[in-house]
Amino acid sequence: MANISTSSLAAFSRRWVAVSAVALIVAAASGARSAGPRFYPDDPLWVDDDRAFDASKTVEIEDTNGYDFVVNTFGHPGERRDVRAMNVNTVDEVPDSTWFTNRIGRRDLTIADLVKGPDIVDRVSLDGWVVSAGKPSGRQPGFRMTDPRGQLYQIEVDPPSNPEMASGAEIIGTAFYHAFGYHVVDVYLAELDRQALVLAENATIRDPLNGHRRRLRRSDLDLVFDRAARMPNGRYRVLVSRFAPGRPLGNFRYSGTRPDDPNDIVAHEHRRELRGARVFGAWLNHDDSRGVNSLDMLEISNGRGAIRHYMFDFGSILGSGTVFAQRHRAGNEYIFESRPGWLTLATLGAYIRPWMRIDYPDVPRSVGRFEADAFDPEKWKPEYPNPAFDNMRPDDAFWGARIVSRFTDEMIGAIVKKAQYSDPRATAFMTQALIKRRDKVLSTWLNQVCPVVDPKVLADGTLTFGNAAVDVRAATPADRYGLQWFRFDNATDTRTPIGERQTVTAATGRAPAGLLGAGDYVGVSITAEHPQHPGWMRPATFFFRRAGGEWTLVGVERG
Amino acid sequence: MLRISAVALLLGLAVAAPAFPQEPATRAEADRQRRAAKNDNLKPYEPGGFERAMHFVEERGVFILGREGFYPKIGSLTTGSGFAYGVGYRDRDLFDKVAVLDLWAATSLRRYWAAEARLSLPRLANNHVMAEAWAGRRDYPREHFFGLGPRAARGDETSFAIRSDLFGGRAAVRPLSILMAGAALEHLSPDLGAGKDPRVPSIEERFTTATAPGLGESIDFLRSTAFLEVDYREPKNAREGGWYRVDLSRFSDRNNRQHSFTRVDTDLRQFVGLLAGRRVLAARLFLSTSNADDGATMPFYLMPTLGGNDTLRGFREYRFRGPHALLLQGEYRWEIWSGLDGALFYDAGKVADRRRDLNFSRLERDYGFGFRFNTDEAIVFRVDAGFGSRDGKHLYIVFGGIF
Repeated sequence: MANISTSSLAAFSRRWVAVSAVALIVAAASGARSAGPRFYPDDPLWVDDDRAFDASKTVEIEDTNGYDFVVNTFGHPGERRDVRAMNVNTVDEVPDSTWFTNRIGRRDLTIADLVKGPDIVDRVSLDGWVVSAGKPSGRQPGFRMTDPRGQLYQIEVDPPSNPEMASGAEIIGTAFYHAFGYHVVDVYLAELDRQALVLAENATIRDPLNGHRRRLRRSDLDLVFDRAARMPNGRYRVLVSRFAPGRPLGNFRYSGTRPDDPNDIVAHEHRRELRGARVFGAWLNHDDSRGVNSLDMLEISNGRGAIRHYMFDFGSILGSGTVFAQRHRAGNEYIFESRPGWLTLATLGAYIRPWMRIDYPDVPRSVGRFEADAFDPEKWKPEYPNPAFDNMRPDDAFWGARIVSRFTDEMIGAIVKKAQYSDPRATAFMTQALIKRRDKVLSTWLNQVCPVVDPKVLADGTLTFGNAAVDVRAATPADRYGLQWFRFDNATDTRTPIGERQTVTAATGRAPAGLLGAGDYVGVSITAEHPQHPGWMRPATFFFRRAGGEWTLVGVERG
Repeated sequence: MLRISAVALLLGLAVAAPAFPQEPATRAEADRQRRAAKNDNLKPYEPGGFERAMHFVEERGVFILGREGFYPKIGSLTTGSGFAYGVGYRDRDLFDKVAVLDLWAATSLRRYWAAEARLSLPRLANNHVMAEAWAGRRDYPREHFFGLGPRAARGDETSFAIRSDLFGGRAAVRPLSILMAGAALEHLSPDLGAGKDPRVPSIEERFTTATAPGLGESIDFLRSTAFLEVDYREPKNAREGGWYRVDLSRFSDRNNRQHSFTRVDTDLRQFVGLLAGRRVLAARLFLSTSNADDGATMPFYLMPTLGGNDTLRGFREYRFRGPHALLLQGEYRWEIWSGLDGALFYDAGKVADRRRDLNFSRLERDYGFGFRFNTDEAIVFRVDAGFGSRDGKHLYIVFGGIF
C-alpha cells in the first residue's frame, strides 16, 4: 500500500513538474507577445510607418452633414475615456504620419516658411484656365476650373455682405494648420474677370434643383456671381484651392478606425493630433472642425496604397460663417445643447446664455464677427460634440499649446497679411485678436500640467530643464521644484526611488551620487509649486537612457 | 511514458511557436505587427441603417421635395383648408434660368381644391425687374361666414363654397435691394355656392344679400393694383429690420358695376432684435379700408377678415369680416435652440362697417403662446395656442409662418 502510495506520489510529482513546465512555457510565450519592454531601442519613434500595408481596397466614407450632426449630438460615437493618447511616442510627441507632420512644433520655421505654408507656387493666374465643372457641395458658392496642365482647382467667392471674409479665413486657416503640422491643400487668392470665363466643352454640374448631372451653362455661373462680392474694379476676388493628389475617399471620422484600412490602428478619438486640435480650434475659432470638413485621399506609390488625411475647409473659422458673419453662438455653445435650451424654455427666455451678452467690436466686414476679450479657451466649443475633443486631457492640451506658443507676434501678423485684406484695419484687428487669443490659450493650457520641458542630464549628474509656461510669459516662475530621482528597470517597468526628494528653486538639479554609475535607465519626477497653478503639482516624469557616454531623453509622462 | 508525453508536448509547442509573431525587437516592428494583425482581419466598411437613411434623406429626399419636374405639393391651400397634398410640375431654369414655370394641383383634408399655373421671371435686368403671370382655379367648399361687422356672433356661423377662376400678371421694379414698386392686373370670376361644412348651416339659410352682399350673384372682377414694398428684414425670418407694404387696389365689377370698389391695405411689420438677435420683439399693424363706388356694395367674400392662425389667434378663421379692418399684433420671440423659437403673443383688432369706427376702442383681443420650427429664411412649422378671447381657446398647427 505504502509502495503504491509512494509510486503514485512520484508519478503525480513528475506529472506536476511536466505540466508546470508546459504552463510556464505557454505563459512565457503568451506573455512575451503581450508585454514588451517599456522602451525599445528605436524609441522615441519620430516616424510612424502607417503606409506599411496596402490600403488601396478602402472604400469611400462620405458622411452627410445631418448624419454627422445627429450621430455626434445625440449619440456617443467612439470611446470617451481618460486615457493617454495612443499614438504618441515615448517622449509624448506625435510622430510624423499620414495624419501629421511635425513642423513648427519641432523645428524653427522662418516667417517666409510660415506664410508660404503648403503653397506650391507664389501666385496663380487664371489666364488660360477653363471652367470645368460646378461645385457639388458646400455652402460657399463656387465652381471648378482646370489649368492648362489639367490640374483641377475649386474656385469660391465671398458673400456680398462680407467681402474678403471667407477667402481671408481660408487663407489664414490653411497657413496656420499647415504650420501646426496637418495636411492641408494649397489655396491661393486670385482676381477673376467674369466676362473672360471660358466654359469647357465637357463641363458638367450636378443640378442643384434635381441632383442630376448635366452640362454646365453660363447661367449656372451667374447664380454663383449673384451671391458674390464684387471688387471696385468690377472683378471678383476668388479663392483658388488645388485638388489634392490621389483618389478621394470621403472624410475621416473623429472616432473609431476605418475597418478596411490596415494602417489605421489607433482609434481616432485617441489620436493626440486630433484631441489636441481642440486647442487650435479654440485659438482660431474653427467651430466647424468636424468629420465632414476633413478629407481622406488614397495615394498610390510603388503599387501600394496609403491614405493621407487632410484637414480642410477653413472658410468658416475666425469671424467668418462662410456666407455670413459668424453667429454669436458659434464657439460658445453647441448647436443643440440640452441644459441651456430647457432653461431658456422654462424661463420664457429670462435665462440669458452668457454669449448673448458678448459685445463684438465694430470691425471691417471682412473680419466678420470675431473677438478676443470674452474668449475663454476652456469654454470654447465646436458646432457639436467631437469625440476626440471630448477626450482631450491636460497632456494633449499641453502638446497643442506648446505648438501655439511657437507663434510670435510677427509670425501671426505675417500670416494675417497673407489674407490681403484691402482695409488695413482688418489686418490690424485680426492680428491683435489672434495675439490676445493666443496668450489666453497659453495661459490656460500650458498651466494645467507641470510645464517642465527639455530636461537634460549631463555626464556629471547635473540636471537642467526649462519651463514652457514661464518661457512664453504665460506664468511667473515657480516658487520651487520638487525632484525625485529613480532607477528604472526597462524589462519589468519598475522604478526604484534613489535618494531623498530634492527641492530646488532654479530650473536645475543634480542626480544623487551613484545613480548614474550603474544601469542603463534613470529617471526623475518633477513637480512645481506655484500659487496660481495647482496643475503644476501634477508630476512630469522623464526617463533617460545611457547612450555611449551620455544620457538621452527617452521617455516623458505628463499629468 | 509521461516523460515522453511531456517532451512531445514541449516539442509540439516549440514547433508551434513560429506561428505566433516573433517578439518585436523595435517599436517600429511592434507597430508593424499590430498592422499585420489588422491586415489579416480587414472588414469592408458597412454603413448602418441610420447612416443609409440619412444619406437618402439628405442626398435624395431634399430633391424629392424641391425637385425639378414633377414634385409633391404639400402644405396648405388657404387659411382653414387643412393639410393639402397634390402634385406639381416645375421648371426653374426655363430660358437659361431666366424664367420659372410652376404648375400644380392639390386637394386638402377638408376637400378644398386648387390648381394653378404660374410663369415667373424673377431676375430680369440684373435683379432690378421681375414679372409674372398666372392662371388658376380655387374651389373652397367650407369657408366660414359669421356675418358682417364687429358684432357678428359666433352662434351665427355658416359656411359657403366659393369657386373662383382667376388669371393675371404683375410686374415690379426693384431700384434698391430693399425697395420694390409694381403693378398687377388680375381677372377674378368668383362663383358662390352652398357651404359643405356639415356642422353648420349653409350661408343662404341664415343670411341674405342684404346681410351678405354678393351672395347668390356671379360677378366678374378686374382687379388692378399698385403696390410699394420696403423690406429690410435681416434675415427673412426676421430678427431685425422691417417690412412695410401698401397696396392700392381697384376692383371693377365687369358685369354691372354694382360691386366696384377701391381698397387700400397697409401692412407694417417691425422687428427689434435683442441679445444677439436671440430675443425678438415683433410688431405688426395692418389696416384695410375700402370705398365702394356710389350706389355699389362690396361683396362680403372680398372684404378683409380677422380671426384664424395669422390674425386674431383666439378666434376661428374668418370670424370677423367687414369693409374696414384694423389689426395689431405683438410677439415676444425667444430662441430656445437653433431652429426652435418660443413665442408669447398678443393680438387685437376689429372690423368696422364705417371707416370712422376704425379706431382703437372695443378691440377684440387674445393672447397666447407658440413654438416655431424655423430656418433663417422662414418658419417651417408652428404651433400657436390662443386664449383670452370671447370665443374661447384655439390651437393652430400650421405649416408656414406668421408675420
